[in-house]
Amino acid sequence: MRIMLACALGMSTSILVKKMEDAAKQQGKNYKIWAVDQSLIEQELGNFDVLLLGPQVMHILKKVKRIVGDAAPVAVIKPVDYGKGDGAAVIKFAEELVAEGKK
Amino acid sequence: MSFDKFSDILSTIAEKVDDNKYLSSIKMTFTIYLPLIIIGSFATLFNVLLTSKTTGLAQFGPFDFLTSIEPAFTAIKFATMDIMTIPIIVILGMVLAKKNKQNEYVAGLVALASYITVIPQGIKTFVDNAESIVKGLPTSGIDASGLFIGMILTILVIEAFSKLANIDKLKIKMPPTVPAAITNSFNAIIPLFIILIIVSILGNIFKNISGLYLNEAIYNWVQAPLENAFQSPAGILFIIFLSQLFWLLGIHGGLIISPIRNPLAIAALAANIAAVEAGLQPTEAITLGFWFVFVVPGGAGLTFCLIIANLIASRREDHRMLSKTALVPGIFGISEPVVFGLPLILNPTFAIPFTIGPVITVGLALIAVNTGFITPNIVDVPFGIPLGINAFLGFGFKGVIVQLLILIIGILIYLPFVLFANKQVAKGNQ
Repeated sequence: MRIMLACALGMSTSILVKKMEDAAKQQGKNYKIWAVDQSLIEQELGNFDVLLLGPQVMHILKKVKRIVGDAAPVAVIKPVDYGKGDGAAVIKFAEELVAEGKK
Repeated sequence: MSFDKFSDILSTIAEKVDDNKYLSSIKMTFTIYLPLIIIGSFATLFNVLLTSKTTGLAQFGPFDFLTSIEPAFTAIKFATMDIMTIPIIVILGMVLAKKNKQNEYVAGLVALASYITVIPQGIKTFVDNAESIVKGLPTSGIDASGLFIGMILTILVIEAFSKLANIDKLKIKMPPTVPAAITNSFNAIIPLFIILIIVSILGNIFKNISGLYLNEAIYNWVQAPLENAFQSPAGILFIIFLSQLFWLLGIHGGLIISPIRNPLAIAALAANIAAVEAGLQPTEAITLGFWFVFVVPGGAGLTFCLIIANLIASRREDHRMLSKTALVPGIFGISEPVVFGLPLILNPTFAIPFTIGPVITVGLALIAVNTGFITPNIVDVPFGIPLGINAFLGFGFKGVIVQLLILIIGILIYLPFVLFANKQVAKGNQ
C-alpha cells in the first residue's frame, strides 16, 4: 500500500512518517509512506493509494477531494494521533480508508 | 457571538484564502522564489563579514586579497534581490496560467513583457554636464518596490490572456501538417499582441496624465502604505494575533497569512540590504527572519515554552510524556506535536497564553530593535533552523540574547496555566 501524507512544507508530517514506517515494519507490512507539501498533491496523483492530510491543513480538505476525485480516498488525520505521533493508529486509519474505498 | 459561530467563520476564511486562485498563486510564487532570497541575503552577509575593508576579514593585512572577490558576492545579490520583480512576475504568470489551463511559458513571457512596457526604460545620467537618458532598466523598476504593481498587473494580464486565448476566431489557422508546438505558439500571437498594445497604451496614457510611471504610482499609493502598516507595531501584532487565532482552531495560521506577509517581509529585507550597501543602518524590523527568530521561536504560539513549562511544573503524566517527545521538534520550530497532541486546539486553559504570548514577546523584540540593541536583519533565516542558531545567523549574539529572553518570558507566561492544569486534574480525580 502506498500512503501519502500532506501538510504545510511536509516537515511536521515527516516526523509522523518515521513513526508510521516503524509501526508498519513491526507489523511486518511493506508499505511505502512519504510526506509532501500540500501544493504538490496534484503532481503525485496516481502515485498513492490513500492520501492523509495533517490536521493543520484541514481547511483544504474540500479542495483536495476535488483534485483527487475518485483516484484515492482522502481524509484528515485525527489530531490527537497526529500530535502524539501514534504511527500504528494512523496506519490502521489508512487501511480502513482503503478498505472502505474498495467496497 | 457564540464560539462555534466564531470558529465556523475562521474556518471558512481559511478555506476561502486557500481556495482563492490569486492568493494561493502568490503564496506558491514566493515559496518557489524564497531560496534565491536567502542566497542573496547570505551573499550580502559574506561581503559584510569577509570582503569589506571596514567590517570584514579583509581589514586585516593577510586577508586583504578578499576584497577582490567582493564584486562576485555583489553580483549574486544583484541577480537575486535587485531584480526580483522580474522572476516573481514570470513565475506568478506561469502558476496562474497553469490554474487557467493555458500555455505556461507563453503566459510567463506575456506577463514579463507587459510589465516592462509600463516601467521606465531608461536611466537618467549626465554626459558632458548635460542630462541624457541611457537605455536600460533602472533597478527601481525591477527591485522589490515593483512587487505589488508586478503582481497586480500579472493577474490582470493572465486573466485577459486566458480569455482571449480561448476565443477560436483569434487563432491563426495552420495546416494540419504543422507540428502542434508551432501551432500553439502561433495561436498565441494575436492575444499577445492585443494585450501588449492595450497595456502599453494604458501605461503611456497614465504616465502622460499623472507624470508618474505606473510602478512608481502603485508603489506610492499601495505598496508603501502596506509596508508601513506591516512594519508598525499595531499592524504586525494584529497579524500575529490573527495567525494565532487560526492555530487555536488547529489551522496552520502561517499558511493563511503568508500571501500578504511574505511579499511585505521580503520587500523589507530588500530595503535593509539596500541600506547596508549604501552605508546606512537597516530600518525595517519585520522580515521573515524576524518572524522565525522572534515571533515563532520553537513553534507558533511559543509552544516550546509550554514544553519547558510542562517539564518544569506539570504533574499531568500525559502532558509530561508529550512534552518529552515534542522537545526536539520544538527546537526546530515545529509546533504540531504540542498543538495536536496536548492538544492546544480549542483548549480553554492554554488559549490565552497561546494567542497572547507571542504578542507580548514580539513587543519585546520590537523594543530591542527600536532601542538599537539589535539591528534589523540583512540575512534571512529560513524555517527549520534550530533555536539559538537561527537567532545568531540573523541577528548575531545580541539576537540570541533577545531570543533567550523571549523564551524565558514565554515560559513564565505559560507556567501559571500549567499549574492551573494541575489543579484541574486534581479536581477531576476527587
